[in-house]
Amino acid sequence: MIGSAARPDTVADVAGAIALLEDLVQSDSSTRAARMQDLLRALRTVATTRGPEDARHWARRAISPLLDYSSISALRTFLPPRLASDAAKPVRLAILGGPTTVQLRRVMEAFLASEEIIAEVYECDYGLFRQEILTPGSGLDRFNPDIVFVATGARDVGDLPAADLGEAEVAAIAETEIAGFAALWSIAHAKWNATIIQNNFEIGPGSSFGHLALRHPAARENYLDRLNRLLAERAPASVVLHDVRGLAAEAGARAWFDARFYFEFKMPCGAECLVTYAHSVVAVIRAIQGRSRKALVLDLDNTLWGGPVGDVGPGGIALGDGSSEGQAFLAFQRYARQLRARGVVLAVCSKNDADKAREPFETRSDMALKLSDFACFVANWENKADNLREIARRLELGADALVFFDDSPVERALVRRLAPEVAVPDVPEDPSDYVQALATGRYFETTAFTREDAARAQSYATNAQRRELADASSDLRSFLASLAMRMQVSPVSALNIERVTQLLNKSNQFNLTTRRMSLAEVKEVGAHPEWRTLTFSLRDSLGDNGLISVVFLRASEDTLTIDTWIMSCRVLQRGVEQFVRNEIVALARRDGFRRISGSYVPTAKNRMVEHHYAGLGFQPAGTEGSKTLWVLPVEPGLADLAHFIVGEGV
Amino acid sequence: MTDTRARLQGIFRQVFDDPALELRDEWTADDVDGWDSLRHTELIIAIEKAFGIRFAIAEMARTREPGSNVGTLLELLRTKVDARR
Repeated sequence: MIGSAARPDTVADVAGAIALLEDLVQSDSSTRAARMQDLLRALRTVATTRGPEDARHWARRAISPLLDYSSISALRTFLPPRLASDAAKPVRLAILGGPTTVQLRRVMEAFLASEEIIAEVYECDYGLFRQEILTPGSGLDRFNPDIVFVATGARDVGDLPAADLGEAEVAAIAETEIAGFAALWSIAHAKWNATIIQNNFEIGPGSSFGHLALRHPAARENYLDRLNRLLAERAPASVVLHDVRGLAAEAGARAWFDARFYFEFKMPCGAECLVTYAHSVVAVIRAIQGRSRKALVLDLDNTLWGGPVGDVGPGGIALGDGSSEGQAFLAFQRYARQLRARGVVLAVCSKNDADKAREPFETRSDMALKLSDFACFVANWENKADNLREIARRLELGADALVFFDDSPVERALVRRLAPEVAVPDVPEDPSDYVQALATGRYFETTAFTREDAARAQSYATNAQRRELADASSDLRSFLASLAMRMQVSPVSALNIERVTQLLNKSNQFNLTTRRMSLAEVKEVGAHPEWRTLTFSLRDSLGDNGLISVVFLRASEDTLTIDTWIMSCRVLQRGVEQFVRNEIVALARRDGFRRISGSYVPTAKNRMVEHHYAGLGFQPAGTEGSKTLWVLPVEPGLADLAHFIVGEGV
Repeated sequence: MTDTRARLQGIFRQVFDDPALELRDEWTADDVDGWDSLRHTELIIAIEKAFGIRFAIAEMARTREPGSNVGTLLELLRTKVDARR
């Protein structure tokens, strides 16, 4: 479809731009530098002929963790020097280095831009991370960060234990070291209510103890391992650990510890490792913002197995222990299954006859993935961009929550062109490399793993079932009644605060005021006498939906104001809103309030709830800018709204 | 213009984002707008990659000594490229 023969020199049109990007993505290491030059030349032309905005757009799309440092830095020059625009509210990100972070920052800014995260970045001079946090009125204090990235490494560890120390003494030294970091976290959290990203410690080559390092407590490697375990145990929920140790191992110690760049420039790692490092931190930032991808959409032929099943039949495909290639495909299936187990929703998008596509799942016992693992299974002959949008619709996700994995470069190019919100990783020819190719994108980072996450993939699948039931049901009321829904209502507590915070920060559609809050702020609201908090967890005959709705209410005189009302879109049209509204009224009655007020603050994504309050019997009470205000007088005659949910305790 | 020189100029053009830049031997970091320590690292990284060479720590340091200029860098580069042949 897109041949390299017809390589245009400008990005005058979208097709030309996509062609250049595809050339870059398809290029191997021997041709990548030349393709990069083509793209940079074209971007310069675009910047002069069509304006910097266009050049910026294509530069952002070209930025990828597969590029080298110099290429990313060159693409960065097309982005504005300061990333935050005055229009949008940026995330205030502070980078506090042990080593120097100017190069790291440059690559991080490129990835922030490519992820469309609007950030105001503050950077301290190298080695000053402690002073910046501890000193009142420091540059960092004045900056007032939302996120503090403590970009330290093994070189920032205080004194290593002396070689003759035993277990107890080493343990005490380690506790002191970690306590030093913990003090920084709690100050950063208390002062600025910031989320902290803390690097753990990379472990370099060259152990003086050799093989004995793992058994001797004072050996550097063993000690750093111990510190890393302590970090993981001691870091509170406001601290996200960034696994630099894992990155160094992944890159290979020899590449990571190219010490020349530390000795001469105080860089944290070898130049090419900065790309992985920056990409990984930005993936964590994306997760903190609740913007990680949520679903993996898989092709079938030559993606989950070898060969076209429509031609060779389920017995003829390469899969499993019968062939080396078959083992590679099976390994990829297992990886997808592990992703599902930790909450990534799986779907299929394949060009096949639907019955043929299902056959391997139905007839072969050696498939790691089962039909029931997929929340959505689309096999037809329509174009895949349309199919992906349909899958997003059925899963009630935005297309920007999808990752599409397909061995066909043609399909990938088509989707990149027609559905640019979908993430489309490059897929190598050899199935042995599929797992790595998918992992390189770091699409599915999350800052916590809750019971709801574990159940999510299942929940999406049963939702598809529920929808089928609903379709088949001529009477919605009897369908809802048949679900035997039971709702548990409880205030915010230590048991649910992580999930509540997570929901607050990632709900975009069913969110009346889109107020984001950190864990600390939620805790504060939960404990404050002026506030009431309600959380709702729903079970039904098909399974446990977990905690799916949160309401925060603020009391002032005789009015109870709904500050926040969010709900997971998985439970739309189940009567949950009606149930919640009744609960709010009951609470207002109990505590003697005379009216309940609410507001709707429109955003690009919450049109769904524009008429939310009107639908629940609230009366319009004016507007403030684009915001609409609503009120519900709590009169004796105010009747409960009808629904099919049975409440269980408070 | 020699091949090494032309390639170095290409690297300077990319790092300094100036496609019209004409490299001059007598340039020091003080003479070129924006030639700070970040740009210098980027030059070293890009040169190592493009020429497939590896600077020793002392060579890296030499490129940053006072009085060191583009000519110094070019000479060093030629020695290393020649040594590989």
